[in-house]
Amino acid sequence: MKKIERKDFLLLGGGAIAGGLTGYVFSGAPFLSFQWLVEWTQDQYVPTKGEEKYLQKLCEYCPNKCQISIRMIGDRAVKVESSNSCCPLGQATLQLLYHPERIKTPLKRTGSKGSDKFAPVSWDEAMKDISSKVNKLVKDNKADMIAAVNKDYSLSGELLERMIKASGSANVYYESSEKTIAQGALGGFAEYDFANTDCIISFGAKLLEGWGNQCQMNQHFLNWKKKGVKLIQVDTNCSTTTSLADEWIAVKPGTEGILALGMANYLIKEKGRTSGAPNFAAWSQIVINQYPLAKVSQLTGVDVKKIKELADTLIQARNPIVVAGKGSKGVSSSSVEMQAVYGLNTLARTGAVALKAPAGMGAIATTGKAPAAGLDDFIKNRDFEVMFVNEADPVYKSVLGKNLAEKMEKAFVVSITPLINDTALYSDYVLPSISVLEGPDSNNAEIVKPYKQSKHAGDIIIGVAKLLEKAAVSFQWNSCLEAMPGAGQTKNVTAGFAFNAEILKNYLNEYDKLMGSTEFPMALLPVELPYVGDGDGLAFPYVLKTIDRHTYSQGKLWVLINRESADKYGVSEGESLDIISERGEIGSVKAHLSDIVAPDVVGIPLGFGHLAYTKYAEDKGVNAKEIMSDKLDPLSGSANWWATRVKIS
Amino acid sequence: MNTNETHVTQENKMKRRWGMAIDLDKCTGCGQCSIACAQENNLPIFEDDSDQPKRVAYLELMKVTNDRDAKYPNVEVTFIPKMCQQCEGNDPSNPKPPCVSVCPVVATDVGDDGVVSQVWSRCIGCRYCQVSCPYEARAFNWWKPRHEGSFKKSLNSDVSVMSRGTIVKCTFCSHIWKRERDKAVAQGITDINAVLYTPTCASSCPTGAIVFGDLNDPDSEVSKLSKDKRAFRLVHTIDEKPEDEKKRLMKLKDYPNPKVYYLSSRQWVRDMMRFK
Repeated sequence: MKKIERKDFLLLGGGAIAGGLTGYVFSGAPFLSFQWLVEWTQDQYVPTKGEEKYLQKLCEYCPNKCQISIRMIGDRAVKVESSNSCCPLGQATLQLLYHPERIKTPLKRTGSKGSDKFAPVSWDEAMKDISSKVNKLVKDNKADMIAAVNKDYSLSGELLERMIKASGSANVYYESSEKTIAQGALGGFAEYDFANTDCIISFGAKLLEGWGNQCQMNQHFLNWKKKGVKLIQVDTNCSTTTSLADEWIAVKPGTEGILALGMANYLIKEKGRTSGAPNFAAWSQIVINQYPLAKVSQLTGVDVKKIKELADTLIQARNPIVVAGKGSKGVSSSSVEMQAVYGLNTLARTGAVALKAPAGMGAIATTGKAPAAGLDDFIKNRDFEVMFVNEADPVYKSVLGKNLAEKMEKAFVVSITPLINDTALYSDYVLPSISVLEGPDSNNAEIVKPYKQSKHAGDIIIGVAKLLEKAAVSFQWNSCLEAMPGAGQTKNVTAGFAFNAEILKNYLNEYDKLMGSTEFPMALLPVELPYVGDGDGLAFPYVLKTIDRHTYSQGKLWVLINRESADKYGVSEGESLDIISERGEIGSVKAHLSDIVAPDVVGIPLGFGHLAYTKYAEDKGVNAKEIMSDKLDPLSGSANWWATRVKIS
Repeated sequence: MNTNETHVTQENKMKRRWGMAIDLDKCTGCGQCSIACAQENNLPIFEDDSDQPKRVAYLELMKVTNDRDAKYPNVEVTFIPKMCQQCEGNDPSNPKPPCVSVCPVVATDVGDDGVVSQVWSRCIGCRYCQVSCPYEARAFNWWKPRHEGSFKKSLNSDVSVMSRGTIVKCTFCSHIWKRERDKAVAQGITDINAVLYTPTCASSCPTGAIVFGDLNDPDSEVSKLSKDKRAFRLVHTIDEKPEDEKKRLMKLKDYPNPKVYYLSSRQWVRDMMRFK
């Protein structure tokens, strides 16, 4: 064997290295690794690909029943489009569907209430435990201690109402809305024929910012523009609705009702208008005696001439609508105001407003004690041992939320919700429900699979009801789809609307007392952002992107103060303030000086300051409801939190 | 080159010049355009997206008011949805938007349809374009976009997810046009001008305030609206000048010449947005 020389060895070795390198370069591996390097440094996530298809679904969330089309990539829903693209829910629903903090299974409380400690349990175990609690109360003749809070009049809401009533309790409440307030104040909720009206006078109802059925209101708005329908907005602060309206009548905070009474005075006294509703004589006597135009003008800040002009516009219109219920998503009002505004409709003899009531799903006679007048009344004055909360968040949204949380600590609470919210924190069981995209529609096509073990709230309620000894007979359905045809019906109100002179008698005195307070010289005025509303939107990061820096930024909530008032109270732009009311104080909000709010007003955004509701909503700002007025309205049983007086320091 | 080939090229020559008109008198500020945009374009999710200086958004829903000059109650508010204004510079046949001329790596360019593109895998993050943009329409990813957990499931596979250290902006949802063109090609339609599309902000607008279309087509709604009495463009004083003065000025200076028109009947909105 020939001995390898050192020179040959080096040559061979060098050749091997050179050959290897050449091969390496030509193999493309270095270029691939460059790409890897780029991908690694840029750290880019690549969404999984799949077959594209569009799924059609009937959205049965609201009476509109929009046809929605869901763009799917494989099994992932990536976009929601609706036939009329009018629904504000549609666009944000994907954020709920794929929210990383969705509840996966039924949860049972393991820590103390409010501690957010839960452990997963099976559906069977949860249902058994919940139903046994209800059965025991019914057996012990304490059915009255069962209560329920619904978000709104939906399919699941009606099912829950049926379950509670069939169990022998009348304690079913709905979160405060224009419908619930109207039901207390007028005996039914007003259904407005916005499609066929020629003139609308709105008393603080932010019709174009989410009030009522936003889907329909957007369509009506376009038609009004086309047909030249007049929209007159009576309001305290400048909002999108006041700016888009044909006319804005700026009134002093909290005097919308007084203006309506002034208009009624003019129509009764000078135009000889009457109303056929019961107690009109007594009511009109007070209106004539206590609300002369000069006085109304002085209280509201609107000229006598303007009041007359407004009333004339109303009676000259062919089919006018007068709307009450201040706010957009969070609505509050007093019964006096609701009655005064509805009274104007009767004085104008309009055909565009009718009173309706939810028909419920067939008559269920309940043997229970008469319920409280409304949710806030219930929280304040009644006790309960078992409470069902259906997709509502009264601990956060009610001004008496803290009182409710205290009572919940001593009771057994079941919360149905897709995300842990403030109310769920105080619950013994949290049952996961679904978004509108998930589950089948009534065409029975399975669309997007419900998330993990989530179920439709209606199915959860039917499941519980079937295990109840007393209520089971009233639930012949196997799923909420079977129950759907009977839901969502309204009926005409037979008793009709009646004026209430009793509550009107002392209204002016109470108003004077409220305004006469030298300790609290300013009015606290809730303002709402699109999408955030009164809090529901805050869990979604894409909604957070729409928040402007003078509402919430860098951990601070901003309030609006008129520039003239800022001079008066010595407030400068960006200054940190405490807001104090009779009920307490909220601290460290920043002041933004702007003339879009009236003098002597603090405009505070709603929807912030959640205790829970995912990490995106937690610890953001303060909840203004904590210091808002908890004075109960005698008819609607809701706190009139719009009428809050405060001072700043 | 034979005549047949020339004919084909002639027919396939891009005729479109995409533009947008936003009627502020119809806008209720509901925010659907903004949410739909974020969803369609895989916008990043950070820990706190309410933090305005840090967040990344294509479509900023600006709330403006005239309270600087007016006193309560003579004030008004209006929302202005503001996205990339797709500038074309002084000459549409040789478009030169402010951002394109400064980009050192051709990460942003103007297509023959007039849309200003942005390719973030090419972007080196120098942020010249962001500085040069008169409309603050560009956003920089200072942090890594996190689509936490199951949020990843709603990502659109037509749009690449952004990465840290790159500039991003609205591209008039041009991926939707590509999607529509692919569909047309599958049906045998090869003429690029035969395919129209609607960006997601326009299709999600519940009141039809956002109108999208071809500015070169005189019959399209958008080109009619762009000539409306109420129409104006953001920060664009030159529009008010007489024709010969306009020509003279355009010789002296490059103007952005955006292709997004706003319509408002309120004089203060027009004045404010022109910086009068």
